Amino acid sequence: MSVKVHFLLEDLLVEAPEGTPLQRIADAAGADITFGCRTGSCGTCRVRIAEGLSHCSASGAEERDFLAGLGAPPDQRLACQVVVQGDVAIEYLGL
Amino acid sequence: MTALSDLFRDKVLLLDGGMGTQIFARKPTVEDYGGAALEGCVDLLTERRPQWIREIHAAYFRAGADAVETNTFGANPLVLSEFDLADKAHALNVQAASLAKEVARSFDRPRFVLGSVGPGTKLITLGHVSYATLLASYRVQMDGLLEGGVDAILIETCQDLGQIKVAVRAAKEAMAAAKRRVPLWVQATVETTGTLLVGSEIGAVLASVEPLGLDVLGLNCATGPDEMHAHLQTLAEASPFAISCLPNAGLPLNVDGQVAYPLGPELFAGKVLHAASEFGLAVVGGCCGTTPDHIRALAPGVERLSPPRRAPRLERSAASLYQAVTLRQEPAPLIVGERTNANGSKKFRDLLAAEDWDGLLGIAREQQREGAHLLDLCVAYVGRDEVRDMDELLGRLVTQVTLPLMIDSTEVAVIERALQRAPGKGVVNSINFEDGEGKARRILELCRTYGAAVVALTIDERGMAKTREEKLAVARRLHALAVGEYGLDPGDLILDPLTFTLGSGDEAFRDSAVETLEALRLIKAELPGVRTLLGVSNVSFGLNPAARHVLNALMLYHAVQHGLDLAIFNSSKVIPVAKIDPEDRRIVEDLIYDRRSEGYDPLKALLARFSDRKAAAAEDRRADLPVLARLHRDILDGDKQAILADADEALRDHDPLRLINEVLLGAMKVVGERFGAGEMQLPFVLESAEAMKAAIHRIEPHLPRESNYQKGRLLLATVKGDVHDIGKNLVDIILSNNGFEVRNLGIKQPIEAILKALAEWPADAIGLSGLLVKSTVVMKENLHFMEEQGHRIPVILGGAALTRDYVEGDCRRAYPGPVFYAEDAFEGLRQMQSIVAGESLAVAPAPAGSAEEGIRILKRGGTAVPLTDAGQSSWVRHEAAPPEPPFWGVQELADAPVELFEHLDAFALIRNRWGFSQGSLDEAAFAAILREKAEPQLAAWKARLAAEPLLVPRARYGYFRVRAAGDDLRILDPADPDRVQAVIPFPRQAAGRRLCIADFFRADRTDVLALQLVTLGQAAADHAKRLYEAHAYADYFAFHGLATELTEAYAERLHARIRRELGIAAKDLAGRALFAQGYQGSRYSFGYPACPDLHGNAAILDLLKGDALGVTLTETSQMDPEYTTSALVAWHPQARYFSA
Repeated sequence: MSVKVHFLLEDLLVEAPEGTPLQRIADAAGADITFGCRTGSCGTCRVRIAEGLSHCSASGAEERDFLAGLGAPPDQRLACQVVVQGDVAIEYLGL
Repeated sequence: MTALSDLFRDKVLLLDGGMGTQIFARKPTVEDYGGAALEGCVDLLTERRPQWIREIHAAYFRAGADAVETNTFGANPLVLSEFDLADKAHALNVQAASLAKEVARSFDRPRFVLGSVGPGTKLITLGHVSYATLLASYRVQMDGLLEGGVDAILIETCQDLGQIKVAVRAAKEAMAAAKRRVPLWVQATVETTGTLLVGSEIGAVLASVEPLGLDVLGLNCATGPDEMHAHLQTLAEASPFAISCLPNAGLPLNVDGQVAYPLGPELFAGKVLHAASEFGLAVVGGCCGTTPDHIRALAPGVERLSPPRRAPRLERSAASLYQAVTLRQEPAPLIVGERTNANGSKKFRDLLAAEDWDGLLGIAREQQREGAHLLDLCVAYVGRDEVRDMDELLGRLVTQVTLPLMIDSTEVAVIERALQRAPGKGVVNSINFEDGEGKARRILELCRTYGAAVVALTIDERGMAKTREEKLAVARRLHALAVGEYGLDPGDLILDPLTFTLGSGDEAFRDSAVETLEALRLIKAELPGVRTLLGVSNVSFGLNPAARHVLNALMLYHAVQHGLDLAIFNSSKVIPVAKIDPEDRRIVEDLIYDRRSEGYDPLKALLARFSDRKAAAAEDRRADLPVLARLHRDILDGDKQAILADADEALRDHDPLRLINEVLLGAMKVVGERFGAGEMQLPFVLESAEAMKAAIHRIEPHLPRESNYQKGRLLLATVKGDVHDIGKNLVDIILSNNGFEVRNLGIKQPIEAILKALAEWPADAIGLSGLLVKSTVVMKENLHFMEEQGHRIPVILGGAALTRDYVEGDCRRAYPGPVFYAEDAFEGLRQMQSIVAGESLAVAPAPAGSAEEGIRILKRGGTAVPLTDAGQSSWVRHEAAPPEPPFWGVQELADAPVELFEHLDAFALIRNRWGFSQGSLDEAAFAAILREKAEPQLAAWKARLAAEPLLVPRARYGYFRVRAAGDDLRILDPADPDRVQAVIPFPRQAAGRRLCIADFFRADRTDVLALQLVTLGQAAADHAKRLYEAHAYADYFAFHGLATELTEAYAERLHARIRRELGIAAKDLAGRALFAQGYQGSRYSFGYPACPDLHGNAAILDLLKGDALGVTLTETSQMDPEYTTSALVAWHPQARYFSA
């Protein structure tokens, strides 16, 4: 099964196998998402999941804590922590 | 109309005799009960045969009784449910009460009705029924009795202390709901064994129900009057309540298979009257086997009795199910056993984790044997359900341990469950005002409801009270709330004025023992009746065990002199003051009373005197374990002190090689497994490694000369151009303490130097480490070089910027020998183990492009943002005029280390640097690790850095006139703005917004650029090195992480200053958001995605004259010393992080 990932900022549409980490897709496609630590603790790769929030892997406690600390709304994630399980549309926010 | 309570004042009250005896005399048939299934349901006869009940009540009134008991002994839903009549409970009680009242009203002088409440058929203390079920059942009965108009509630024939407390609560709640207060009576049944059925002495009953507030507490049933004397005596001396006595007509006899009672009316009356005058009884009557004739025989004598005059004296106590223990002990103090505490005893905690309930009971019994009077019971264990554990443990403990309990929990729900589960009178530990009065009020409400004493700590909203005046003031406030408002007896308020350690030498606590002692005296003088408590052994935290024992003993001694009543103390470690060496005593007393003088510090004297002394008493119960088990545990606990002694002991009987290979390495294997499973945090792993190091060091001299326990050799280095050594050092620590020999070549190692070292020191593998992205390229180049040189030795690669794909793909293709990726030190360990075992040597490179497999670009929409004529991204808008800095040029700052903590991102420090991650722990367990380990560690470092010059923070920053030109930033000479002093080039994004840092500065006019450079100084780098070389792994790791984050904190502090000075600080966000660019503008450091080329550091150092701070660049443009960082600051509102 493949899924479609739409990077809204540059209107970039990418196809990838279901279960692929978002950071791998972003890197491979050259999407405009800046990754910092890639471990969910710097927040550089913060994105808004414009569509398909339920197609993203669940966030862990540390990512939740981090985003809660920023007061981020529930549709925001750290791109490095997301595994794509269905079609999604991504808007890069950064820090 | 006369109330029952009025009658008390005028005469001794005469009650009726047996109800059951009278009913059974009528020989009820199946028809009378209403069917075979209902046979024996005596309570139902109120409805079925009301005339019988009327006749019985009337007969007793005619015999002279002032009051009769309703026919409701078993009329509660729990008992009636055995006849499937639970629903009738309320109606039967109303009916029985109204019926009795109706009979009472038919007599001319005041006659009363007592609502009879029996013990039921289930024992709550033995777990037959839950607290909530029993409470609800009794509540139905109490409601019915009150509705039916009873003049008092009589909870009688009580066999179970737990049941009494539930029934009393139900009665009180029913009265509150009905807004009708009637006297509340309780009568216990003391068996011929001298206790209630479940084993309670009458003293335990009195202590337990006394705080609940009754009107009458007496005895009925089980025996005749004579057998009750001893128990009546106890009540006469101590009970503040009127005493009732309703004996059977003697001890029942079995006559031809029938129950018979030996005492006839006259004999019975004589004995009861004797007891009445002897023990000051206020109420008399009869129970089983007594008849209207017995009451008639009593009546004239009772008429002649005067109301009793007693002067009871109740010594306030705590009580277990079995016995009461007075809170004032002679000699003082009362000892509270401290080892049944999951926070204080490792053994208890481990047994709890294993749910070894018998083992836990064993600790409780052990403390009882060692002389504890009370048990402090705490089952708070991160990740476990504390309510459930309390429930499970108490279900067993209350019947098997005779000591009363001090219920130690911070959770209100746990305290409540414990108070429900433990009959008797508990002590709740504790309340304070740290977070205001809310929680204290909730706990005091529980104490009032369940009749518990309470420990109150002198802590208020401002924190722990330190001076005697503060302690007294908080004590007064605690007293006002607990005694004044919640009505606790002062004797049930146990004030703890807090003990602080004298072992730290902290100036702020030098006089803390004196203040505590004086506070004890003041509290006892100013708040009469209250009790006092101290956790005495806190006074000596941080000292060695031998010194602790002496200090603890003398602190206890002086505290008792100052009025201490209770001490939380390990009773097995009390040493008699008389046995203390006089010189020891002088020094310790000087310490306690803070008697210092020129050139004399008792703390230093004590430390010197006890530096090498061993504690006399065995530490903990560790000694019970076999030595090999202790060694194993020492590793898991990271106990590098205990492991030395245990290693010495083990060496006597065990082969040293076996100790290392089987015991120590076996334990380290468990450590690695726990780390891998996410159960053990990195800081604890490092403590284990330190213990391992200490043990190996101890054992090594005993190894036979030719023996070698080491399994293999690793040559380890951080690659050329990279100064980061923490990751590499972690690998060194983990491998060298797991049986491998490691040669650590250090940082910035060119491959030539590594191969030269290999020639001198043949190894099984080479480990290459590096943090920089650039280092990943260097590693691949190194592999190429090794390939050319004909090497085939296995290579393990690790580092933050590496990925598994890159190592297993690109790197493996570059080198014909085995290449492995190690995500962390333990994976490195596993790789080494398979390398020396000759396994998995034939690893093929992953196929090229596998990482990108299946990823396909379907559409790349929109063209890139166009550039302006000046060559800048048109996405950036230059609308506002650049701000005016307060000066042009450079300034230098020096800050105190503690000031950096204001800007510390503690979240990043604890989670990322220190490696406290949730792993497989649940949220509560992880929160507790943060609270109990990480946060105190941070606080300790903060205190230490304030006191010791380990960091020397200095900074330089400045404002420069700049102008953008395409991808370059031109920095103008402050002295001559027409002259370009420096040019810094920046990369530009190829697509999308096509951003470049230069775009955030004006090309059409001069703009302002801020540059900053902060360092913690050479001192910090030197300290980290010293810790590592001393094998203080955990400290090294903690210090390194903290220093790294404090460097960031300093950078943020300076950046905040720059924002203020530029007038753009208004947009700063609060809290953690600030660490995530929650401000206007951006701070870019070279080496990060927007400006990855480290060469930019040279320009910053040059412009800020970094050499004035001792900061220089390495050949790869990294800054030296470590813990230094530089940045350029853009003020433009659109300036954010991006990736070029």
